[in-house]
Amino acid sequence: MPVARLAFEGLSRRFDRLVVLDRVSGEVESGGLFAVRGPNGSGKSTLLRCLAGLLAPDRGRVVAEEDGRALANDERRRRVGLLAPDIAFYDELSVSENLELVARLRGLPPASGRAVAERLGLPAARPWRALSSGMRQRLRWAFAVLHRPRLLLLDEPFQNLDDDGERIARALLDEHLENGGLAVAASPVSLPLPRISGELRLDR
Amino acid sequence: MKRPLLWLLWGWMATVIVAAFHWAPLAEGFLGQSSRILFFHVPMAWVSFVAFMVAGVRSLAYLAGRRTERRDQAAAAAIEIGLLFALLATVTGAIWARIMWNSWWNWDPRQASIVVALLFYAAYLALRAAVADREARGRLCAAYATLGLVVAPFFYFVLPRLGFTLHPEAVINAQGKVEVEPRMLVVLLASSAGFTALFFWMHQLRTRLALREARLLEGSD
Amino acid sequence: MSSGWTAEAAAVFAKDWRAERRARHAVATLVLFAITTLVIASLALGPIGATPGERSDVASALLWILLLFAAAAGLPRVFVHEEESHTATVLRLAARPSAVFAGKLAWVASLLALLEAVATPLALALFDLPVASPGRLVLALGAGGAGLAAATTLLAAIVAQGRGATTLFAALAFPLLVPLAVLAVAATRAALGGGDAGDVLVQLFLYDSTIMVAGFLLFPVIWAP
Repeated sequence: MPVARLAFEGLSRRFDRLVVLDRVSGEVESGGLFAVRGPNGSGKSTLLRCLAGLLAPDRGRVVAEEDGRALANDERRRRVGLLAPDIAFYDELSVSENLELVARLRGLPPASGRAVAERLGLPAARPWRALSSGMRQRLRWAFAVLHRPRLLLLDEPFQNLDDDGERIARALLDEHLENGGLAVAASPVSLPLPRISGELRLDR
Repeated sequence: MKRPLLWLLWGWMATVIVAAFHWAPLAEGFLGQSSRILFFHVPMAWVSFVAFMVAGVRSLAYLAGRRTERRDQAAAAAIEIGLLFALLATVTGAIWARIMWNSWWNWDPRQASIVVALLFYAAYLALRAAVADREARGRLCAAYATLGLVVAPFFYFVLPRLGFTLHPEAVINAQGKVEVEPRMLVVLLASSAGFTALFFWMHQLRTRLALREARLLEGSD
Repeated sequence: MSSGWTAEAAAVFAKDWRAERRARHAVATLVLFAITTLVIASLALGPIGATPGERSDVASALLWILLLFAAAAGLPRVFVHEEESHTATVLRLAARPSAVFAGKLAWVASLLALLEAVATPLALALFDLPVASPGRLVLALGAGGAGLAAATTLLAAIVAQGRGATTLFAALAFPLLVPLAVLAVAATRAALGGGDAGDVLVQLFLYDSTIMVAGFLLFPVIWAP
């Protein structure tokens, strides 16, 4: 039995009269990466938000399993690791304070984010407000993997990262997949990605 | 509603109107014919309450069960019609107050509480207009209408009793006794039943219309 | 409720206070609003009655009008800001909804308590009011403040997801807050003047618990799909 599985069937979502997702399906299991490709505005972010449980699809369903057990919607939202361009942290709090907050909210020891933050080369004392876009993306990575999720959802994972940042992020992704996690990664350009087990092409 | 039922409803309401003016006696202590407004004023207020409760129950079902467009639209339709009846109850009440108390409006606790109820549900419509996404709108509006399930009884039954009121005792008074002339009671109950049926007929029509409107809008892209 | 839940709620509460200490948006705005409104009201009204009884009637109504308007002006922010700056997503992903509600409720309640602590003595001084029963006054302010906090937290979460949140908040909050205002004014007046307000306080507690229970039940569906 796979450690984790994520499947979605016939997902549709519209905003007002604009159909953003039209009956899309896919499946990915432990150790695999599901690639979502398509131009801007093709619904990649919407799909990932639906998978994370942040957005309810109009039609279709999402099934997330860990150790053979299906996760309820509320549970799934807290279990996944989501990295998305529109995730932001508290302006007034420093990197380490923001990560401490996340750890506390997740019921983990407050210092659990320290190791990954150091690995990502994040300036611990600098507030979110004063971070460069590359550093912000690194903090999003730390947020996504801090609680060691089985299901990692990555929306434009390497955006704004420098070579060094991308190398670290790719290492984190590799480790995640090796340890039996699964990932869904969305990108407008055809990024080289490891262990692709499935792919979905979206168009406008 | 089936056609024969609809004819029955029309006949019923026509009988109620005739009975209210020609068969029911006048109540003691009321000026002129003014007590006859009771047969319309009370059922209107009652129906507005029923409508808001229907909206609350449909909204609760929406949140707790399957989130269907029908439940969302049915709740909204019930609130629209409830607002209409609450407004009519307010206006008929003001007309009666003008005759009996010689002023349209004097912030009697009953007048104050129906205004609060009107504002509470008018705000529901404002909320509906302010949320563009259908899913979020359904969810937020349903939560608000469910809150109404708890606070509307407070507006209708508790708030009016906080303070001194000149409003005639409700039909069933605090002691739980019915204190009206039997013929008046018959007309009042018949009218309430008629108005309730009228509400459910209007509600069904409005819900169907709203669902078709939504479908048309969806199909046009 | 597990200790984990309490810790989550406490984390939400603590982060709001920490951010507040560094940026000082809410407290400064609310307190300034309270002070200026009281001073203007006191200046404009002049002497509002010869006896303390007459004055306390006007002053208790004025105090609660002020608190309601300060709440309407300053408190929708507690969720609007989270949505606008996209930090709400972090809370949605990391915390249990009920813990978010509890943390925010505590934060709003503490803000209101602070506001009352500033506005009440000032009102007492400006209108030259004796307090017949200080204990009852604290009770009235506490119970009124708790209801105000619960209602505004719940409604702020709703309006933060719509357009024109501040105007919408006023439309939604007014009807819900009318009963609270009526009860809180009556309780405050009785505490100042020495009348009996046992019934009113009981009704106020009933209102508070109703809105809080409704809040905890409804917040999860308001907060996330």
